[in-house]
Amino acid sequence: MSQPKEIFVRTDRCVGCRSCINACAVEHSESKTLFGAVMQTPRPKSRVYVEWVAPDRKVPLVCRQCEEAPCMHACISGAIHRDDDGVVRTDSDKCIGCWTCVMVCPYGVIGRHLEEHKAYRCDRCPDRDVPACVSACPTGALIYQSVPAYAKTVRQNASHELVKAERG
Amino acid sequence: MGREQSQYVIVGGSAAGMAAAQAIREKDPTGTITVISEEPDAPYFRPLIPFLVSGKKQAHEMVLEGCGPYQAAGITVNTGSRAAALDANNHCIVLEDGTRLGYKKILLATGSRPYVPPDIEGADATGVFALRTLDDARRMAARIDQTEHAVMLGGGLLNLKAAFALLERGVKVTLVVYSPEVLSQLMDPEDATLIRKALDDAGLAIMTGVAAVGIQSDATGVTGVVLNNGRELASQMVCIGKGVRPNVEFLAGSGIRVTEGIEADRYTATNLTGVYTAGDVAVTHDPVAGTPIMTALWTNAVEMGRCAGQNMAGLKTAYCGTFGILNATQVANEPFVAMGIVHTKDGDYEIHRKAATGSYRKLVFDKNGDHLIGAVFVGDITNAGLYRYVIREKMATAAIKRQIIEHTLHYGHFSF
Ligand SMILES: Cc1cc2nc3c(=O)[nH]c(=O)nc-3n(C[C@H](O)[C@H](O)[C@H](O)COP(=O)(O)OP(=O)(O)OC[C@H]3O[C@@H](n4cnc5c(N)ncnc54)[C@H](O)[C@@H]3O)c2cc1C
Ligand code: SF4
Ligand code: SF4
Repeated sequence: MSQPKEIFVRTDRCVGCRSCINACAVEHSESKTLFGAVMQTPRPKSRVYVEWVAPDRKVPLVCRQCEEAPCMHACISGAIHRDDDGVVRTDSDKCIGCWTCVMVCPYGVIGRHLEEHKAYRCDRCPDRDVPACVSACPTGALIYQSVPAYAKTVRQNASHELVKAERG
Repeated sequence: MGREQSQYVIVGGSAAGMAAAQAIREKDPTGTITVISEEPDAPYFRPLIPFLVSGKKQAHEMVLEGCGPYQAAGITVNTGSRAAALDANNHCIVLEDGTRLGYKKILLATGSRPYVPPDIEGADATGVFALRTLDDARRMAARIDQTEHAVMLGGGLLNLKAAFALLERGVKVTLVVYSPEVLSQLMDPEDATLIRKALDDAGLAIMTGVAAVGIQSDATGVTGVVLNNGRELASQMVCIGKGVRPNVEFLAGSGIRVTEGIEADRYTATNLTGVYTAGDVAVTHDPVAGTPIMTALWTNAVEMGRCAGQNMAGLKTAYCGTFGILNATQVANEPFVAMGIVHTKDGDYEIHRKAATGSYRKLVFDKNGDHLIGAVFVGDITNAGLYRYVIREKMATAAIKRQIIEHTLHYGHFSF
């Protein structure tokens, strides 16, 4: 079995351009085009958040697909389950908008669709090979890789840095 | 009667029991698991039953199996089967029909049932409900056709949910609340203002500071409610929401330590070998105050049930305890969250309140202002999970206090 992939965040690279937010909203719109998304009411919702930490750090946030997903175990209506690919999903037909999941997600990445009275969050873009936010990120702050592959990248980067440092 | 054998026996097939069964199955793929459940229905999401009353959902849409984390592979659920006694010396549970079911590990997850105050006269009349089970919901729904006016006794969340279900069906509803304000268990009266307004706007009649003393009935069932201020309300349905009591009677003489509920240690075990407990029936501890606590919450029951299941399957797992108050919901288009210590009248706390149009929040710190210990959010509940985390982990809040008070806290503040 191939290793499941994760969305990793390199906060040192995020410049807060919000490309990921727009791409996510477009991907989750009816038309899947920017123009259509802007015209749609209610506006399609992004499931990525870019938060700002003083003085100038930007932190993109997206559902971590937690192993012991607190949201899934807390849901009082059985709307949240983990699919075969390991992605934690909210079934909006079953969601009753009680916001229990919002109360327990320690990352704050569950949104509330007020018009529809439903919770929503990252679904890893089931129609795409690479999630829209990752494709859209111009700086490589979002990375879609398996854990071992990402660890390798991090190690390689670190050794490049080391080598650079040693060479002075 | 015969004696059967199952490696794991679970008494009570609801939030705690089924979460435990699931957790056992994840750790032990082969051990036999038998769940004994008194109710005739297969396990279901109890908090959804008001939707059966409102007609928004049907019973088959509430089943646990196959929904959310509940896959129930290889778990036998015996519905309509009641445990009558625990014979811990012989490691077996005695069912009402006399069958003895042997166990290596057993979980007592019998939950709770509604408390009906004995001083309300006539509470056994047809048309008086305490909404707890799917069966209650069915009977309640069946009486709607002959109900013009329903009186709800108690201003807790459960009664509010039931009240809205009835309002949606076109029934006139009056909420009779003894406390000075609705939701008095979940927040101080002054913190409930926005919610109260939303309830009033939604057309719910609310009488505070009064109690029912008697329920009148004739051959058709309930006809009215008599209040302690002398008034009488004509009514064809009464719903009692006055809290719950743990189902522990079957344990009399078993040697299990029962105080208010079944006493659990840090590993969800009771005082007897091989016997565990979880959910509404269990006494656990509050991680902030450190005091013993019983809760009546689905979310807590699942968390504790999972922990118990892991312990039963041999993976020693400490239960981190829970807040007595940990509620999120939306009533009358007003979302709210209440968690941790939220009643602050009789204590020394540092409190920050902020009201704006459509939103209200209260943050409770300990008296030195170093730790967040409770929060109430009404209207805007963004990132509530982070605040829960800060409370539960007893985080030192110095570095993020401004963000907490201004309600701008987000995960970025935790990552470095
Ligand atoms: C209408 C309603 C709305 C709710 N909404 C929420 C909400 O929004 N959020 C939230 O967190 N909580 C909510 N709750 C509370 C939540 O449902 C309970 O906290 C939760 O069900 C407790 O689970 P449990 O497994 O401990 O026990 P229970 O759900 O009480 O289940 C115990 C089971 O054991 C059975 N049993 C008892 N004694 C025996 C015996 N001797 N032999 C065999 N079986 C036995 C009972 O019949 C029952 O089926 C709500 C409850 C109701 C009724
Ligand atoms: S929504 Fe939150 S709690 Fe649920 S899996 Fe994602 S990050 Fe974890
Ligand atoms: S808001 Fe929806 S998904 Fe979240 S806990 Fe409630 S029912 Fe489940």
